[in-house]
Amino acid sequence: MIAVLGLIVGVVVGLLVRPEVPAVVEPYLPIAVVAALDAVFGGLRAMLDGIFDDKVFVVSFLSNVVVAALIVFLGDKLGVGAQLSTGVVVVLGIRIFSNAAAIRRHVFRA
Amino acid sequence: MDPKDPKDPRDRENPVDRGERPEPHFRRELPAEVPAEQAGADRGATAAESAPDPAASPAPHAPDESGRRRLLSSLWPPRVSRAQLIVAVLLAGLGFGLAIQVASTNDNSALRGARQEDLVRILDELDDRTQRLEDEKQRLEEQRTGLESSSNQAEEARKQTLEKERQLGVLAGTVAAEGPGITVTVEDKKGTVEADMLLDAVQELRAAGAEAIQVNGVRVVANTYLSDASGGGVSVDGNKIKAPYRFRVIGKPEDLAPALNIPGGVVQTLEKEQAVVSVQDEEKVVVDALRPAEEPDYARSSSR
Repeated sequence: MIAVLGLIVGVVVGLLVRPEVPAVVEPYLPIAVVAALDAVFGGLRAMLDGIFDDKVFVVSFLSNVVVAALIVFLGDKLGVGAQLSTGVVVVLGIRIFSNAAAIRRHVFRA
Repeated sequence: MDPKDPKDPRDRENPVDRGERPEPHFRRELPAEVPAEQAGADRGATAAESAPDPAASPAPHAPDESGRRRLLSSLWPPRVSRAQLIVAVLLAGLGFGLAIQVASTNDNSALRGARQEDLVRILDELDDRTQRLEDEKQRLEEQRTGLESSSNQAEEARKQTLEKERQLGVLAGTVAAEGPGITVTVEDKKGTVEADMLLDAVQELRAAGAEAIQVNGVRVVANTYLSDASGGGVSVDGNKIKAPYRFRVIGKPEDLAPALNIPGGVVQTLEKEQAVVSVQDEEKVVVDALRPAEEPDYARSSSR
Protein backbone atom coordinates (compact mmCIF):
# COMPACT_ATOMS: atom_id res chain seq x y z
CA MET A 1 0.00 0.00 0.00
CA ILE A 2 2.82 2.34 0.88
CA ALA A 3 4.41 1.42 -2.44
CA VAL A 4 1.25 2.26 -4.36
CA LEU A 5 1.02 5.53 -2.45
CA GLY A 6 4.62 6.25 -3.40
CA LEU A 7 3.81 5.72 -7.07
CA ILE A 8 0.82 8.05 -6.85
CA VAL A 9 2.83 10.67 -4.97
CA GLY A 10 5.56 10.49 -7.61
CA VAL A 11 3.11 10.97 -10.46
CA VAL A 12 1.37 13.86 -8.71
CA VAL A 13 4.63 15.58 -7.85
CA GLY A 14 5.88 15.12 -11.40
CA LEU A 15 2.69 16.61 -12.81
CA LEU A 16 2.61 19.51 -10.36
CA VAL A 17 6.26 20.47 -10.41
CA ARG A 18 6.81 19.95 -14.14
CA PRO A 19 10.56 20.28 -13.93
CA GLU A 20 12.53 21.11 -17.01
CA VAL A 21 14.29 17.94 -18.08
CA PRO A 22 18.00 18.59 -18.51
CA ALA A 23 19.08 18.14 -22.07
CA VAL A 24 21.74 15.60 -21.07
CA VAL A 25 19.23 13.28 -19.43
CA GLU A 26 16.48 13.80 -21.96
CA PRO A 27 17.23 10.96 -24.40
CA TYR A 28 17.63 8.45 -21.57
CA LEU A 29 14.52 9.26 -19.57
CA PRO A 30 11.98 7.33 -21.64
CA ILE A 31 14.15 4.25 -21.80
CA ALA A 32 14.87 4.50 -18.08
CA VAL A 33 11.16 4.72 -17.38
CA VAL A 34 10.46 1.63 -19.45
CA ALA A 35 13.28 -0.25 -17.73
CA ALA A 36 11.94 0.75 -14.33
CA LEU A 37 8.49 -0.42 -15.36
CA ASP A 38 10.01 -3.77 -16.26
CA ALA A 39 11.62 -3.98 -12.84
CA VAL A 40 8.34 -3.11 -11.16
CA PHE A 41 6.47 -5.82 -13.04
CA GLY A 42 9.19 -8.28 -12.20
CA GLY A 43 8.97 -7.30 -8.55
CA LEU A 44 5.20 -7.65 -8.57
CA ARG A 45 5.48 -11.10 -10.04
CA ALA A 46 8.12 -12.04 -7.54
CA MET A 47 5.84 -10.88 -4.74
CA LEU A 48 3.00 -12.99 -6.05
CA ASP A 49 5.37 -15.91 -6.30
CA GLY A 50 6.35 -15.25 -2.72
CA ILE A 51 9.98 -14.71 -3.47
CA PHE A 52 10.04 -10.93 -3.32
CA ASP A 53 13.09 -9.42 -1.79
CA ASP A 54 13.49 -5.70 -1.41
CA LYS A 55 17.25 -5.76 -1.86
CA VAL A 56 16.93 -7.68 -5.10
CA PHE A 57 14.20 -5.33 -6.21
CA VAL A 58 16.27 -2.25 -5.49
CA VAL A 59 19.30 -3.65 -7.26
CA SER A 60 17.33 -4.85 -10.27
CA PHE A 61 15.44 -1.57 -10.49
CA LEU A 62 18.55 0.57 -10.42
CA SER A 63 20.62 -1.71 -12.59
CA ASN A 64 17.81 -1.90 -15.15
CA VAL A 65 17.67 1.86 -15.35
CA VAL A 66 21.42 2.26 -15.50
CA VAL A 67 21.94 -0.46 -18.08
CA ALA A 68 19.14 0.84 -20.27
CA ALA A 69 20.56 4.34 -20.16
CA LEU A 70 24.01 2.97 -20.81
CA ILE A 71 22.83 1.07 -23.87
CA VAL A 72 21.18 4.16 -25.26
CA PHE A 73 24.26 6.23 -24.51
CA LEU A 74 26.47 3.68 -26.23
CA GLY A 75 24.07 3.55 -29.15
CA ASP A 76 24.20 7.30 -29.49
CA LYS A 77 27.98 7.20 -29.47
CA LEU A 78 27.98 4.45 -32.09
CA GLY A 79 25.44 6.26 -34.23
CA VAL A 80 22.75 3.61 -33.86
CA GLY A 81 20.97 5.24 -30.93
CA ALA A 82 17.51 5.14 -32.48
CA GLN A 83 17.72 1.47 -33.45
CA LEU A 84 19.28 0.45 -30.17
CA SER A 85 16.67 2.21 -28.07
CA THR A 86 14.01 0.54 -30.18
CA GLY A 87 15.66 -2.77 -29.45
CA VAL A 88 15.79 -2.04 -25.73
CA VAL A 89 12.13 -1.09 -25.70
CA VAL A 90 11.21 -4.26 -27.57
CA VAL A 91 13.14 -6.50 -25.20
CA LEU A 92 11.78 -4.77 -22.12
CA GLY A 93 8.31 -4.90 -23.60
CA ILE A 94 8.57 -8.65 -24.07
CA ARG A 95 9.70 -9.03 -20.48
CA ILE A 96 6.89 -6.85 -19.23
CA PHE A 97 4.39 -8.92 -21.18
CA SER A 98 5.65 -12.24 -19.85
CA ASN A 99 5.70 -10.91 -16.28
CA ALA A 100 2.22 -9.54 -16.76
CA ALA A 101 1.13 -12.98 -17.97
CA ALA A 102 2.49 -14.58 -14.79
CA ILE A 103 0.81 -11.94 -12.64
CA ARG A 104 -2.42 -12.53 -14.46
CA ARG A 105 -2.22 -16.23 -13.73
CA HIS A 106 -1.78 -15.49 -10.08
CA VAL A 107 -4.52 -12.92 -9.80
CA PHE A 108 -7.16 -14.37 -12.10
CA ARG A 109 -5.93 -17.98 -12.16
CA ALA A 110 -6.23 -17.93 -15.92
CA MET B 1 -6.95 -20.15 -24.93
CA ASP B 2 -3.53 -19.46 -23.68
CA PRO B 3 -0.99 -20.98 -25.95
CA LYS B 4 1.32 -21.51 -23.02
CA ASP B 5 1.05 -24.57 -20.90
CA PRO B 6 -0.98 -23.61 -17.85
CA LYS B 7 0.32 -26.56 -15.88
CA ASP B 8 3.81 -25.32 -15.52
CA PRO B 9 4.15 -21.70 -16.49
CA ARG B 10 7.08 -20.80 -14.33
CA ASP B 11 9.51 -23.17 -15.97
CA ARG B 12 8.82 -21.70 -19.32
CA GLU B 13 9.25 -18.16 -18.22
CA ASN B 14 12.19 -18.70 -16.01
CA PRO B 15 14.82 -17.71 -18.57
CA VAL B 16 13.16 -14.39 -19.19
CA ASP B 17 12.57 -13.63 -15.58
CA ARG B 18 15.78 -14.85 -14.12
CA GLY B 19 17.17 -11.39 -13.66
CA GLU B 20 14.24 -10.37 -11.52
CA ARG B 21 14.04 -13.24 -9.10
CA PRO B 22 16.63 -14.59 -6.83
CA GLU B 23 17.62 -18.16 -7.17
CA PRO B 24 15.42 -20.42 -5.11
CA HIS B 25 18.21 -21.68 -2.90
CA PHE B 26 19.35 -18.15 -2.19
CA ARG B 27 15.87 -17.12 -1.21
CA ARG B 28 15.48 -20.07 1.08
CA GLU B 29 18.64 -19.21 2.88
CA LEU B 30 17.50 -15.77 3.71
CA PRO B 31 15.36 -16.48 6.77
CA ALA B 32 18.03 -18.70 8.18
CA GLU B 33 20.76 -16.17 7.58
CA VAL B 34 19.13 -13.23 9.27
CA PRO B 35 16.80 -14.63 11.80
CA ALA B 36 17.53 -12.36 14.71
CA GLU B 37 17.88 -8.85 13.49
CA GLN B 38 15.18 -8.61 10.86
CA ALA B 39 12.85 -11.40 11.55
CA GLY B 40 9.32 -10.22 10.99
CA ALA B 41 9.03 -6.55 10.14
CA ASP B 42 11.99 -6.17 7.84
CA ARG B 43 11.14 -8.96 5.56
CA GLY B 44 7.69 -7.57 5.40
CA ALA B 45 4.54 -9.13 4.24
CA THR B 46 6.08 -11.21 1.53
CA ALA B 47 8.47 -13.05 3.72
CA ALA B 48 5.91 -13.48 6.44
CA GLU B 49 3.36 -14.90 4.08
CA SER B 50 5.76 -17.16 2.33
CA ALA B 51 6.75 -18.84 5.53
CA PRO B 52 3.89 -21.32 5.71
CA ASP B 53 4.01 -21.79 1.97
CA PRO B 54 7.48 -22.52 0.57
CA ALA B 55 7.47 -20.16 -2.35
CA ALA B 56 10.43 -21.58 -4.12
CA SER B 57 8.91 -24.97 -4.53
CA PRO B 58 7.22 -25.06 -7.90
CA ALA B 59 3.82 -26.29 -6.81
CA PRO B 60 1.49 -24.97 -9.46
CA HIS B 61 -1.72 -24.43 -7.52
CA ALA B 62 -0.81 -23.49 -4.00
CA PRO B 63 1.24 -20.36 -4.90
CA ASP B 64 -1.58 -19.05 -7.02
CA GLU B 65 -3.89 -19.08 -4.06
CA SER B 66 -1.39 -17.65 -1.64
CA GLY B 67 -0.03 -15.16 -4.19
CA ARG B 68 -3.32 -13.46 -4.40
CA ARG B 69 -3.70 -13.39 -0.67
CA ARG B 70 -0.22 -11.95 -0.37
CA LEU B 71 -1.05 -9.19 -2.78
CA LEU B 72 -4.24 -8.30 -0.91
CA SER B 73 -2.62 -8.40 2.48
CA SER B 74 0.23 -6.20 1.32
CA LEU B 75 -2.25 -3.74 -0.09
CA TRP B 76 -4.50 -3.58 2.97
CA PRO B 77 -4.05 -2.77 5.77
CA PRO B 78 -1.07 -0.52 5.03
CA ARG B 79 2.00 -1.50 6.97
CA VAL B 80 5.18 0.46 7.22
CA SER B 81 8.09 -1.78 6.54
CA ARG B 82 11.54 -1.29 5.07
CA ALA B 83 10.60 -3.13 1.90
CA GLN B 84 7.45 -1.12 1.45
CA LEU B 85 9.30 2.13 2.03
CA ILE B 86 12.11 1.34 -0.37
CA VAL B 87 9.71 0.19 -3.04
CA ALA B 88 7.63 3.29 -2.40
CA VAL B 89 10.65 5.50 -2.93
CA LEU B 90 11.59 3.71 -6.14
CA LEU B 91 8.03 3.78 -7.42
CA ALA B 92 7.80 7.46 -6.58
CA GLY B 93 10.90 7.98 -8.71
CA LEU B 94 9.33 5.94 -11.48
CA GLY B 95 6.08 7.88 -11.27
CA PHE B 96 7.99 11.14 -11.25
CA GLY B 97 9.97 10.21 -14.33
CA LEU B 98 6.86 8.88 -16.03
CA ALA B 99 4.92 12.04 -15.33
CA ILE B 100 7.56 14.47 -16.51
CA GLN B 101 8.28 12.37 -19.56
CA VAL B 102 4.61 12.25 -20.49
CA ALA B 103 4.29 15.96 -19.79
CA SER B 104 7.33 16.87 -21.84
CA THR B 105 6.14 14.63 -24.66
CA ASN B 106 2.70 16.18 -24.56
CA ASP B 107 3.35 19.83 -24.13
CA ASN B 108 6.04 20.12 -26.72
CA SER B 109 6.37 19.39 -30.36
CA ALA B 110 7.89 16.19 -31.66
CA LEU B 111 11.24 17.95 -31.82
CA ARG B 112 11.77 17.84 -28.09
CA GLY B 113 12.22 14.10 -27.79
CA ALA B 114 13.94 13.76 -31.14
CA ARG B 115 17.42 12.39 -31.34
CA GLN B 116 20.35 14.26 -32.72
CA GLU B 117 20.43 12.50 -36.07
CA ASP B 118 16.70 12.99 -36.44
CA LEU B 119 17.12 16.67 -35.75
CA VAL B 120 19.92 16.87 -38.30
CA ARG B 121 17.72 15.13 -40.84
CA ILE B 122 14.80 17.44 -40.10
CA LEU B 123 17.10 20.43 -40.41
CA ASP B 124 18.38 19.15 -43.75
CA GLU B 125 14.85 18.68 -44.99
CA LEU B 126 13.97 22.18 -43.89
CA ASP B 127 17.01 23.55 -45.65
CA ASP B 128 16.07 21.72 -48.83
CA ARG B 129 12.56 23.00 -48.56
CA THR B 130 13.77 26.53 -48.00
CA GLN B 131 16.01 26.24 -51.02
CA ARG B 132 13.16 24.95 -53.16
CA LEU B 133 10.88 27.71 -52.01
CA GLU B 134 13.58 30.31 -52.65
CA ASP B 135 14.01 28.97 -56.17
CA GLU B 136 10.31 29.06 -56.74
CA LYS B 137 10.10 32.60 -55.40
CA GLN B 138 12.85 33.72 -57.71
CA ARG B 139 11.18 32.05 -60.66
CA LEU B 140 7.87 33.68 -59.87
CA GLU B 141 9.50 37.06 -59.46
CA GLU B 142 11.13 36.72 -62.84
CA GLN B 143 7.80 35.76 -64.29
CA ARG B 144 6.20 38.79 -62.67
CA THR B 145 8.89 41.09 -64.02
CA GLY B 146 8.40 39.64 -67.47
CA LEU B 147 4.67 40.05 -67.29
CA GLU B 148 4.97 43.59 -66.03
CA SER B 149 7.35 44.61 -68.79
CA SER B 150 5.22 42.90 -71.40
CA SER B 151 2.11 44.58 -70.08
CA ASN B 152 4.00 47.86 -70.20
CA GLN B 153 4.93 47.09 -73.77
CA ALA B 154 1.36 46.22 -74.57
CA GLU B 155 0.21 49.49 -73.04
CA GLU B 156 2.81 51.38 -75.04
CA ALA B 157 1.78 49.58 -78.21
CA ARG B 158 -1.82 50.37 -77.50
CA LYS B 159 -1.00 54.06 -77.04
CA GLN B 160 0.98 54.13 -80.25
CA THR B 161 -1.82 52.40 -82.05
CA LEU B 162 -4.27 54.92 -80.76
CA GLU B 163 -2.02 57.79 -81.79
CA LYS B 164 -1.57 56.30 -85.21
CA GLU B 165 -5.29 55.79 -85.53
CA ARG B 166 -5.83 59.47 -84.81
CA GLN B 167 -3.21 60.53 -87.34
CA LEU B 168 -4.59 58.22 -89.96
CA GLY B 169 -8.09 59.32 -89.05
CA VAL B 170 -7.11 62.89 -89.90
CA LEU B 171 -5.84 61.73 -93.25
CA ALA B 172 -8.81 59.49 -93.93
CA GLY B 173 -11.28 62.09 -92.76
CA THR B 174 -12.85 59.96 -90.03
CA VAL B 175 -11.96 62.37 -87.23
CA ALA B 176 -12.21 66.11 -86.93
CA ALA B 177 -9.01 68.12 -87.00
CA GLU B 178 -7.97 71.58 -85.99
CA GLY B 179 -4.86 73.61 -86.27
CA PRO B 180 -3.33 76.60 -88.03
CA GLY B 181 -4.14 77.02 -91.68
CA ILE B 182 -5.97 79.16 -94.18
CA THR B 183 -9.45 79.67 -95.47
CA VAL B 184 -9.99 80.25 -99.15
CA THR B 185 -13.24 81.70 -100.43
CA VAL B 186 -14.01 81.54 -104.14
CA GLU B 187 -16.89 83.77 -105.17
CA ASP B 188 -18.28 82.70 -108.49
CA LYS B 189 -20.87 85.22 -109.52
CA LYS B 190 -20.84 84.27 -113.17
CA GLY B 191 -20.82 80.51 -112.82
CA THR B 192 -17.57 80.09 -114.62
CA VAL B 193 -15.71 78.09 -112.02
CA GLU B 194 -15.55 74.43 -112.91
CA ALA B 195 -14.55 71.30 -111.16
CA ASP B 196 -11.08 71.11 -112.68
CA MET B 197 -10.27 74.55 -111.31
CA LEU B 198 -11.24 73.50 -107.82
CA LEU B 199 -9.29 70.30 -108.32
CA ASP B 200 -6.28 72.38 -109.27
CA ALA B 201 -6.72 74.32 -106.09
CA VAL B 202 -6.94 71.13 -104.04
CA GLN B 203 -3.84 69.71 -105.75
CA GLU B 204 -1.96 72.90 -105.12
CA LEU B 205 -2.93 72.86 -101.47
CA ARG B 206 -1.88 69.23 -101.13
CA ALA B 207 1.41 69.92 -102.79
CA ALA B 208 1.97 72.77 -100.33
CA GLY B 209 1.50 70.39 -97.42
CA ALA B 210 -2.17 70.70 -96.53
CA GLU B 211 -3.10 68.07 -94.02
CA ALA B 212 -6.86 68.34 -93.84
CA ILE B 213 -9.18 70.01 -96.31
CA GLN B 214 -12.89 70.53 -96.43
CA VAL B 215 -14.89 72.47 -98.92
CA ASN B 216 -18.41 73.60 -98.14
CA GLY B 217 -18.87 70.94 -95.51
CA VAL B 218 -17.38 68.07 -97.53
CA ARG B 219 -14.16 66.51 -96.38
CA VAL B 220 -11.57 66.20 -99.09
CA VAL B 221 -9.48 63.02 -98.76
CA ALA B 222 -7.27 60.89 -100.95
CA ASN B 223 -10.03 59.35 -103.05
CA THR B 224 -12.18 62.48 -103.31
CA TYR B 225 -13.33 63.22 -106.80
CA LEU B 226 -14.68 66.46 -108.18
CA SER B 227 -16.91 66.71 -111.17
CA ASP B 228 -19.14 69.32 -112.75
CA ALA B 229 -22.66 69.05 -111.57
CA SER B 230 -25.55 69.48 -113.95
CA GLY B 231 -27.21 72.86 -113.57
CA GLY B 232 -24.15 74.67 -112.22
CA GLY B 233 -22.06 74.01 -109.21
CA VAL B 234 -19.64 71.22 -108.50
CA SER B 235 -20.15 67.72 -107.18
CA VAL B 236 -17.63 66.64 -104.57
CA ASP B 237 -17.84 62.91 -103.87
CA GLY B 238 -21.41 63.06 -105.11
CA ASN B 239 -22.34 65.98 -102.84
CA LYS B 240 -23.42 68.91 -104.87
CA ILE B 241 -21.98 72.21 -103.68
CA LYS B 242 -22.54 75.70 -104.98
CA ALA B 243 -20.56 78.91 -105.02
CA PRO B 244 -19.21 80.51 -102.96
CA TYR B 245 -16.75 77.70 -102.38
CA ARG B 246 -15.16 77.93 -98.96
CA PHE B 247 -12.04 75.90 -98.41
CA ARG B 248 -10.83 75.28 -94.88
CA VAL B 249 -7.32 73.98 -94.95
CA ILE B 250 -5.05 72.94 -92.12
CA GLY B 251 -1.38 73.26 -92.83
CA LYS B 252 1.44 75.73 -92.60
CA PRO B 253 -0.14 79.07 -93.61
CA GLU B 254 3.20 80.50 -94.79
CA ASP B 255 3.41 77.67 -97.31
CA LEU B 256 -0.22 77.39 -98.28
CA ALA B 257 -1.02 81.01 -99.07
CA PRO B 258 1.99 81.60 -101.36
CA ALA B 259 1.30 78.31 -103.10
CA LEU B 260 -2.09 79.63 -104.16
CA ASN B 261 -0.86 83.12 -104.91
CA ILE B 262 2.14 82.36 -107.09
CA PRO B 263 2.04 84.01 -110.49
CA GLY B 264 0.17 81.81 -112.92
CA GLY B 265 -1.17 79.81 -110.00
CA VAL B 266 -4.62 78.96 -108.81
CA VAL B 267 -5.68 82.42 -107.72
CA GLN B 268 -4.63 84.04 -110.96
CA THR B 269 -6.33 81.34 -113.00
CA LEU B 270 -9.58 81.76 -111.08
CA GLU B 271 -9.46 85.53 -111.27
CA LYS B 272 -9.00 85.21 -114.98
CA GLU B 273 -12.42 83.47 -114.93
CA GLN B 274 -13.94 86.49 -113.14
CA ALA B 275 -14.07 84.71 -109.83
CA VAL B 276 -13.16 86.54 -106.66
CA VAL B 277 -10.69 84.67 -104.48
CA SER B 278 -9.77 85.66 -100.97
CA VAL B 279 -7.16 83.85 -98.92
CA GLN B 280 -6.89 84.41 -95.19
CA ASP B 281 -4.37 83.05 -92.75
CA GLU B 282 -5.99 81.71 -89.64
CA GLU B 283 -4.59 80.90 -86.25
CA LYS B 284 -7.05 78.10 -85.83
CA VAL B 285 -8.93 76.31 -88.51
CA VAL B 286 -11.45 73.63 -87.62
CA VAL B 287 -12.03 70.87 -90.13
CA ASP B 288 -15.03 69.04 -88.74
CA ALA B 289 -16.62 67.47 -91.76
CA LEU B 290 -16.32 63.72 -91.50
CA ARG B 291 -16.34 60.75 -93.79
CA PRO B 292 -17.33 57.27 -92.80
CA ALA B 293 -14.47 54.81 -92.53
CA GLU B 294 -14.77 52.43 -95.43
CA GLU B 295 -13.30 49.01 -95.58
CA PRO B 296 -11.67 48.54 -98.93
CA ASP B 297 -13.23 45.74 -100.91
CA TYR B 298 -10.10 44.31 -102.44
CA ALA B 299 -7.02 45.89 -101.04
CA ARG B 300 -5.68 44.20 -97.91
CA SER B 301 -2.77 45.22 -95.81
CA SER B 302 0.20 43.12 -96.78
CA SER B 303 2.27 44.13 -93.79
CA ARG B 304 2.09 41.96 -90.80
